[in-house]
Amino acid sequence: MKGDDELKEIFLAEALENTEQLNKLFTDLEKDNSNKKAIDAIFRITHTLKANAAGMGFSDLAAMAHTMEDVFNVIKSGNMVINADIFNDLFKANDVLCALIEQVKTPEKVVKFKGIKTKLEVLIRTSKEKPEEKISEEPVKINSQTDTPVSVSMQAEVSSVTSQIPVEDEVKEVEQIEHEETAIAFSDNIHVPIRKLDNLLDLIGELIIEKDRVIAMNGNSGRSGQNDYARLQRITSELQYSIMDVRLVQVNVLFNKFHRIVRDVAALENKKVDLSLEGTEIEIDRTILQIISDSLVHLVRNAVSHGIESTQGRLASGKSEAGKLKLAASSEREEIIITITDDGKGIHAETIAKKAIEKGIITREMALLMSEEEKIQLIFEPGFSSAETVTAVSGRGVGMDVVRKAIDSIGGVIGIDSVVGVGTTFTLRMPSSMAVKGALLFELRTGDFAVPLSYTKAVVAIQKKAIRSIGNNLFTTYLGKTIALVYLNDLFQLKDREELTKGGGMLESYHKTNDDEKIQVIIITFNNKEIGFVVDKLLQQKEIVEKPLKKPLENVKFISGATILGNGNVCLVVDVPSIIQSLFRNSKITSVKTQQVAV
Amino acid sequence: MEDIQTVHKQEGTNAVKSTFQIIVFRLEEEEYALSIDQIKEVVITPSIARIPLTQSYIKGVGNIRGNVLAIMDLADKFGISTEKDITNGTHKYTLVVASDEYKMGILVKDVPQTLRVTKDDIDESPAIVQSATLESNYIKGIIKSGNRMIVLIDIFKVISKEEQNLLARTTDKL
Repeated sequence: MKGDDELKEIFLAEALENTEQLNKLFTDLEKDNSNKKAIDAIFRITHTLKANAAGMGFSDLAAMAHTMEDVFNVIKSGNMVINADIFNDLFKANDVLCALIEQVKTPEKVVKFKGIKTKLEVLIRTSKEKPEEKISEEPVKINSQTDTPVSVSMQAEVSSVTSQIPVEDEVKEVEQIEHEETAIAFSDNIHVPIRKLDNLLDLIGELIIEKDRVIAMNGNSGRSGQNDYARLQRITSELQYSIMDVRLVQVNVLFNKFHRIVRDVAALENKKVDLSLEGTEIEIDRTILQIISDSLVHLVRNAVSHGIESTQGRLASGKSEAGKLKLAASSEREEIIITITDDGKGIHAETIAKKAIEKGIITREMALLMSEEEKIQLIFEPGFSSAETVTAVSGRGVGMDVVRKAIDSIGGVIGIDSVVGVGTTFTLRMPSSMAVKGALLFELRTGDFAVPLSYTKAVVAIQKKAIRSIGNNLFTTYLGKTIALVYLNDLFQLKDREELTKGGGMLESYHKTNDDEKIQVIIITFNNKEIGFVVDKLLQQKEIVEKPLKKPLENVKFISGATILGNGNVCLVVDVPSIIQSLFRNSKITSVKTQQVAV
Repeated sequence: MEDIQTVHKQEGTNAVKSTFQIIVFRLEEEEYALSIDQIKEVVITPSIARIPLTQSYIKGVGNIRGNVLAIMDLADKFGISTEKDITNGTHKYTLVVASDEYKMGILVKDVPQTLRVTKDDIDESPAIVQSATLESNYIKGIIKSGNRMIVLIDIFKVISKEEQNLLARTTDKL
């Protein structure tokens, strides 16, 4: 299976790196025997290596790493004195580890590891028996159970080098392995800092823009030209997708970490939870995965600590003893969807609403008008933390609002489905790659703009009489639902946000509109909120390469970045989350009014 | 060009003195200058896309050699602008200024000149550089050259002040 191979490659690369780190740390420790940091780091690395190897089913490697971990466990606890002698063994052990890793690639090769392993075990045993005694005095009484002979070629290759070490047989054998292996530990993978890939992606973005420009300029002249451009088009797009592909990693990388996280949280909460993973082979941009990882951890922890009931609670409500938690990934068009499903108690909309009122996030009147769905969405509001008490597990650090911010920042959307007593599902939809995104281009008085397709729901043309104005707000009906309308021309004309709060100037364009004029509206949907953006003219749908604005504009509101069009002009990309949040926050009533109008 | 030469001749007699180059541009009736190492290039002003919710002297962003850069109008920033709308093509040139941190454009009407000056030409007396208003701490000094008076500014101090303003604005409580 392709997925397994890739995982194996990653494992090998990591393992080799681990052994290199170990070599370095052993050297550090040898120089300064009391280096506590190094001891801790070695313990951690051997532990990871052991766990990873065991997970991949490489039992020999796991056993070897395990023994090394044990040694350092003893050292950590202060029961073993570090002296020069044990370093020889440690370095040898590390080389054997290297050899074992190599063996994963070439299984036909035989690696002897039992000798050194036993030697380390003896060290541990003796230190336990008489911790005060010096280890060097211990007779190393390893029986020659090195039953698998080193292959002939290996011995021939190495025997000349090993001659200067006049020690016992087992040690010699170990030495042989050491010398043989240090010569060829090369991984087939190379590590590339993500920064370099970012740079490549930037360049590709510029290339695409330049290509568009050249084609726009010359594309219409002559038939022969068309062919050349078709090839240019093909090559650039292939290049772009190859680079995007390099940045993709399997969600597995992240998902696999959850076994441990779920176990720990469940143990702490005294609950039983079965975690199942689905769609682990789905690939996603490494940067996106990194951005959402904390959010996922938070959601999973929350699900275990708040979603899933205690064992008694579950049995009482007729559920299985162990709670079920499912992490699933799937891809749909250009989107990656990750769902976190628990079969716990579900989210009680009224409880959420009550707390939101207490915290002053909404008013009592608003709560009355809100649907269950809207109430549940309140958990994403800043200042709302669903946990009654702060436990060690959730309620630490990030809140749900941080989760949503993280998802927003990559142009994703988070949704909740919850049925009381049955369970909760969080759905995260996000782009599979940050490089290009589909966008709808439109025109305003001040220039060209783009809105990412992930936020657009529909495009409609309406007449002025279909718009009603109430106070400073405009509304229209779309598919039987009342939605707020905003003239982007007016919104972008505002000098600062106070003006927005006052609501002045937002109707200017509306009043100027003639009664029979067709009004172009883009229906935007974000976080279950729908709003119509009124624009001057719709242009086209296009794949764009968005770049964030540079200093000193990196913090501007309403605009998330810019792209350069084929004609060389700058096209600003509208920041939908920022606009919607500003609009709904500044006039909390808006959403309520919407409801009233609908009634 | 004449300016450069005449100044050069004056300096020629005592060439031992360290000289450095400045770029002089006109903002309304005044002459301003930047040290040449703050300037990357001079380009024809591209078409500018206005950015919402920014101060009026941030004219917007433009495409300068494939980079989307902020473009600002210093005359507006310094409060000496006499024109309401300057996007009508009167500011034909854009000075691209760059440091490790910033890269942006400054609108100017005419092609800027270069001028070689010595340290002695710059009046850095505290009376000028640290006048009461905080605003002016981006002024590095006044250069007197013949009967000209040129204000030497540190463009990145202007920008970082601008950034603070922007930040103050965006962190407004919602």
